[in-house]
Amino acid sequence: MNYDILVIGSGIGGMEAALKLGDMGYRVLLVEKEPSIGGKMILLSKVFPTLDCASCISTPKMAAAAHHPNVQVMVYTEVKEIKKNGSGTFQARLRKKPTFVDPALCTGCQQCETACTVAVPDQFNFGLVARRAAYIAFPQAVPKKAVIERAGTSPCSFACPAGIRAHGYVSLVRSGKYEEACRLILESAPFPGSLGRACYARCEQECTRAGLEGPVAIRQIKRFVADYYYGAHPEPEDAPPIAPSGKKVAVIGAGPAGLSAAFHLAKKGHAVEVFEAAPLPGGMLRYAIPAYRIPREVLDRDIKNVTTLGVKINQGKRVTDLAGLKDKGFDAVFIATGTPRGRKMKVEGEDLAGVVNALDFLRDVNAGRVSLQGKTVLVVGGGNVAIDAARTAMRLGAARVTVQYRRSRAQMPAHDWEIEAAGREGVVFEYLAAPVRFLGENGKLAEVESVQMELSEPAADGRRIPVSVVGTERKRPADLVVIAVGLEPETEYFGDQLAVNADKTIQVNPATLQTSIPFVFAGGDVVTGPSSIARAVGHGRRAAFFIDRYLRGEDLAGAEVEFDCRLPVVSKEEVLKRQESYRDLPPVSKKEILREKPGDFTEVELPLTEEEARSSAGRCLDCGVCAECRQCVATCPAGAINLAAKEAEKEVEVGSVIISTGLRLFPAGGKPQYGYGRFKNVLDAMQMDRLLAPTRPYNTVLRPSDGKIPNNIAYVLCTGSRDATVGNPLCSRVCCMYSLKQAQLLTGVLPLADVTVYYIDIRAFGKGYEEFYEQAKGMGVYFVKGRISWIEEKEDGNLLLTYEDIENGGKLSRAEHDLVVLSVGFLPAPEVRGLFSAEELAVDEFGYIREVEEDVNPGKTSIAGVFAAGSVSGARDIPDSILHAGAAAAQAAAYVERIRGKK
Amino acid sequence: MSTLKIGVYICHCGGNISHYVDVEEVRAAVAGEPGVVVAKTAMFTCSDATQQEIIADIREHNLEGLVVASCSPKLHLFTFRETARRAGLNPYQYTQVNLREQCSWAHRNNRRAATEKAVRLVRAGIARTNLTVPLEPFKIETVPAVLVVGAGVAGLRAAVGMADLGMNVYLLEKEAQPGGWVNRPGKMYPAGRVGKEIIAQLLAEVQERERITLFTGAEIVEKSGSVGNFQVKVRVGGRRRQEISLNVGAVIVATGFDVYRPAACEYGYGFTGVVTLPEYWDLLAAANGNLIYRRKEIKDVVYIYCVGSRQDPEKENAHSYCSRYCCSAAVYAALQTAEINPQIRQYHLYRDMRTYGKSELLFTRAREQGVRFLKFAGDNPPRVEEQAGGRLQVTVCDLLTYGEEVEIRADLVVLVTGMVPRENEQLVKVLKLPLGKDGFFNEIHPKLRPVETVVDGVFICGAAQGPKDYPESVASALAAVTQSAALLKKGYVELEPLVATVDPERCRWCGECAAVCPYAAIEKGQYLYRQVAWVNEAVCKGCGGCAPVCPGQAIDLRGYTDAQIKAMIDGLLKGGL
Repeated sequence: MNYDILVIGSGIGGMEAALKLGDMGYRVLLVEKEPSIGGKMILLSKVFPTLDCASCISTPKMAAAAHHPNVQVMVYTEVKEIKKNGSGTFQARLRKKPTFVDPALCTGCQQCETACTVAVPDQFNFGLVARRAAYIAFPQAVPKKAVIERAGTSPCSFACPAGIRAHGYVSLVRSGKYEEACRLILESAPFPGSLGRACYARCEQECTRAGLEGPVAIRQIKRFVADYYYGAHPEPEDAPPIAPSGKKVAVIGAGPAGLSAAFHLAKKGHAVEVFEAAPLPGGMLRYAIPAYRIPREVLDRDIKNVTTLGVKINQGKRVTDLAGLKDKGFDAVFIATGTPRGRKMKVEGEDLAGVVNALDFLRDVNAGRVSLQGKTVLVVGGGNVAIDAARTAMRLGAARVTVQYRRSRAQMPAHDWEIEAAGREGVVFEYLAAPVRFLGENGKLAEVESVQMELSEPAADGRRIPVSVVGTERKRPADLVVIAVGLEPETEYFGDQLAVNADKTIQVNPATLQTSIPFVFAGGDVVTGPSSIARAVGHGRRAAFFIDRYLRGEDLAGAEVEFDCRLPVVSKEEVLKRQESYRDLPPVSKKEILREKPGDFTEVELPLTEEEARSSAGRCLDCGVCAECRQCVATCPAGAINLAAKEAEKEVEVGSVIISTGLRLFPAGGKPQYGYGRFKNVLDAMQMDRLLAPTRPYNTVLRPSDGKIPNNIAYVLCTGSRDATVGNPLCSRVCCMYSLKQAQLLTGVLPLADVTVYYIDIRAFGKGYEEFYEQAKGMGVYFVKGRISWIEEKEDGNLLLTYEDIENGGKLSRAEHDLVVLSVGFLPAPEVRGLFSAEELAVDEFGYIREVEEDVNPGKTSIAGVFAAGSVSGARDIPDSILHAGAAAAQAAAYVERIRGKK
Repeated sequence: MSTLKIGVYICHCGGNISHYVDVEEVRAAVAGEPGVVVAKTAMFTCSDATQQEIIADIREHNLEGLVVASCSPKLHLFTFRETARRAGLNPYQYTQVNLREQCSWAHRNNRRAATEKAVRLVRAGIARTNLTVPLEPFKIETVPAVLVVGAGVAGLRAAVGMADLGMNVYLLEKEAQPGGWVNRPGKMYPAGRVGKEIIAQLLAEVQERERITLFTGAEIVEKSGSVGNFQVKVRVGGRRRQEISLNVGAVIVATGFDVYRPAACEYGYGFTGVVTLPEYWDLLAAANGNLIYRRKEIKDVVYIYCVGSRQDPEKENAHSYCSRYCCSAAVYAALQTAEINPQIRQYHLYRDMRTYGKSELLFTRAREQGVRFLKFAGDNPPRVEEQAGGRLQVTVCDLLTYGEEVEIRADLVVLVTGMVPRENEQLVKVLKLPLGKDGFFNEIHPKLRPVETVVDGVFICGAAQGPKDYPESVASALAAVTQSAALLKKGYVELEPLVATVDPERCRWCGECAAVCPYAAIEKGQYLYRQVAWVNEAVCKGCGGCAPVCPGQAIDLRGYTDAQIKAMIDGLLKGGL
């Protein structure tokens, strides 16, 4: 046996049982699912009938439990399953949830809490205030160690092919930490400026807010961040020097994949040289995407993030000999040559002068060699490259630019906003049309013959193939045809060195990006075919990770878990379920300026203002809770934070089990006629207890709607108790008394306030309770017998209570109060269900654990050796819970003695 | 004056102190006191985090004394002694200054004065600490046996529980038969079992266990020794009256309660047909098809609640408390009555229906069965009159029908009588048990130490501590088992070394000290060839009663020596802020 007794749940009952068993000399394992032991009692203000401070009663027990030599405390741990062994002992499987904070290093200084950029409702203050995602449960927490709440990886961050923590930088922007936001992006990718403008933004497609009023403008926020940062830092910031590894890496191709790989490899201390065939680095970012989308100075600044690390870029240098690189002392090679060649249409006349490939066209424009003044241009294709070509042609002075696409608008791969903007600039779109022939004079294009297309019936794969409609051929004059029907890699010169696929892409291990030659890796479009910038950047990062491992002689297989630190993605449905409703926060509209004159390559998209960026970021729903903004990591003076921590499972053998998981509050919204959740000045009693507690959130009692000090407070007893309409006919035992307690405390805190208690029966049944009731009456608390039927809200936030005034003629009466406290009852805690896999733990008709011999063996359950302590078998007040826990402990100890005797 | 290196911690107590006392000012004022090397404030000194900080400070600064100015030592003396011990500091070089109960709570309206008083109190605490010396507790081996007083349902279950944990048990019952109030023929809520059968089951379990010895007709007459090792004399009754001596480590008192006996004419008590609830149970148990009282069939029953409970506290010897079990018991009796004969009309006159928890279901069922409930005000109770022909008439002002006066003719009036403390003068005297205002035995703290008394090693449980139904009594009995086993299973107890010491050079044995000692801890002893006072350290409680009466100033109290008290007074008088 690892432990004599397993105690599940560390509320007052669990602690009492654990401590007493520990004192008896038994080895106890005390398991708690929250980050601190203490249960609900530690959150209370004072406790009846002695009006002791709840902290004063709880803290010594908490400290004693944490330090007892025979008690082992495991917090943030769930019991997954318990099985009974033949010998009468139990096998328990525990799941230790990662706190992402090393408890051995954490000093509880709370600096992470201050730095954290995510605020969520504080469950330990019953939603009255917010807490951070990095937090310490409450000031008296034991252990006083921070926890980072992570529900998973947020859908935006999970979706990013570049591995950028979108949620993180959005959250930082929300907090006004713009530079930190950019630095976070720079941890994953060197191109915040370019990505902020030209990324396809998978993040926004996955944004949970997209299912409400529209996604958070994540890409534009990134652009804002990049512009802000580059404004402050025209040159890269000085970084601490990196110890050289002594290894050399050659990168072929200075596009997004190649430069990203170079960036990450250089950060690991490797000497990186980039070989680029074109005169300038940037690849597609420079030669395909027009300057009105990515201004060249932004791209240049992006690239500086790479070169500042000492990466050498050899421009105008085409490298094809891989073995030669090895001979020159490079230990590894990364091929990222992209898809530099436009696909042919394979129609007659494609070789005529005046029929050009889009990539060549854009490249020439970027080299400044083209004028289209007064010309008629036809662009063929429907992707973003086609739109770029068309809008560029407009800017070069073309008289008429037509985009011909063989499918319909719905199938067009280019982004809607690009199509619309192009249309506004004068580009004409022809859908379901395609050229069949280019006709020339003297080898030069003169006319284009096009044909109408129609979509076939959907094939087996659902795709509708465009087919030409016979007899619809039509000719038109054209000065220039730009063909934008696809791109492909140029890998012929590697063909005899490497394994290359039929579509000319390079064969790699998809996880490690290693090619058929061990020291050669490849990534980006040359591997995937035409893709996206973000994907290329992601490949560069991935390649760098595995090349680094390769260079250090480490195993590549199985290292994926270290590369991909994402948690499982958070379900959007779960996120939306966290709140009952959402405020309508429409997204900022996209604004573009149109081309003003020929040759105007000014950036078309307007930046977000700071206000827009922050309010956009404020729309984030914090799906994963923790945003991975890494501010805690940067701040923690102890270096205790490890976001890569994984959960751990543990199996223990124990002699006996005590279940003391307590109960849950009746959700006050379950009585809709009382308006909880709709009327701001209707609180539940747990919230009022927090308002009265020493660690209270507002440091005073005020009403939520306007912060006014209330002076006429009503208590509505039996909310969710003794009420068959909500399925709980039981009396919750403590609500009368805690209401009396709060009423007494309120008369102390607010001497001028009236407190009225609406009740059915005042159940002051315990030792000293009746006297406590008399004391409340003596202090001037009013008592009205009558159940509240419904509550209405007035304009000033006051509340009208309708009730049957039983002791005064039974009239239906109304009373006005400025604050209403619902004395909510209890429901059984759901945790106990499914705890045992083979035996059945019997529960009563309400879901409380059934005590099979409640009269002579209180706490004994249907499974021999398993005992219930405290409210898990029925609502109990604190003194009764403590006695009940003592009873469970005595029987658990007796059970352990018995099975020991048998052995 | 020589000083120790002292750490001082002043607690906000989450506002309980800092709302009324400027703790920062207190800290600043005492930081320069002799010996003080660390002076800090903390939100919750008792929190684990601050305890860790104190430990770190003690180790870093090699502190020789510790002062925490927070709440009453009743709450946290042991907490901080333990903190000191964990840090390697002798726990008896710790002083707790009570700034909450003795300062902030008492002076809520004068922050200046409260702050000044706090400064003086802390100075006194520092002064005392400077004169502390390391002390070690006395270790006493415990006897693995327990005496259980009372063999009702709680005592029986406690005996079984202790035996199951390997302890020898002596179970004492004053009456000739064990079983107590539960040992009756009627069914009881919540399990619906017959009382006699419950007792029979527990008695069988007692008999199965060799470790348990049951004495009936037995009473405790004398107790000596101390926690962990008591000598108890028991008078065993019966024909051969004899006294036997027992050696036990702990005592569990489970002497139960008494039923309230109504005064003559209280609610017509004395009239034929007016019975108490226990009398009614016996009637129910004897019923066979019909409910018969004195050969007459009962058709109308009126129950009057809160008889002997919730009495006006202004009245002499009032039982002003609620007896807790009676509402549920009366409602359960109503259900049994309806089961016997559903035609019987039942009227329940109550004040507040306290069928708490799951007993609420009994109340619901009773209403569903047509039992009528009328509510009366405490200051306007029902009247019971006997009419010609022997029928009873009950008049009540019913608050549920808007204060209408209702007259009910009844064949039987059941007075729902509460629980009252048992007459236990002898036991209270022998065990020195503390009584609460309500007359029941008093626990140290209802939440922290609910079955412990101020007498170490003497535990209370069941209805002797306060009204309970029988499963609640059993639960508290088992809690007492847990508590005593936690004490005895370790094999030894540690006793406070803060006891009286006699300087034999000065003592001239006059006997004054022995006369005032409430614990009989001082005896005549021998020093050289003289008679001197001798303190039995295991028995001495350190109350200090002997020290001031000694004419030769030969007695000092460890931890509170005359020198320390003088230094504390000097500290208090040293001047304000």
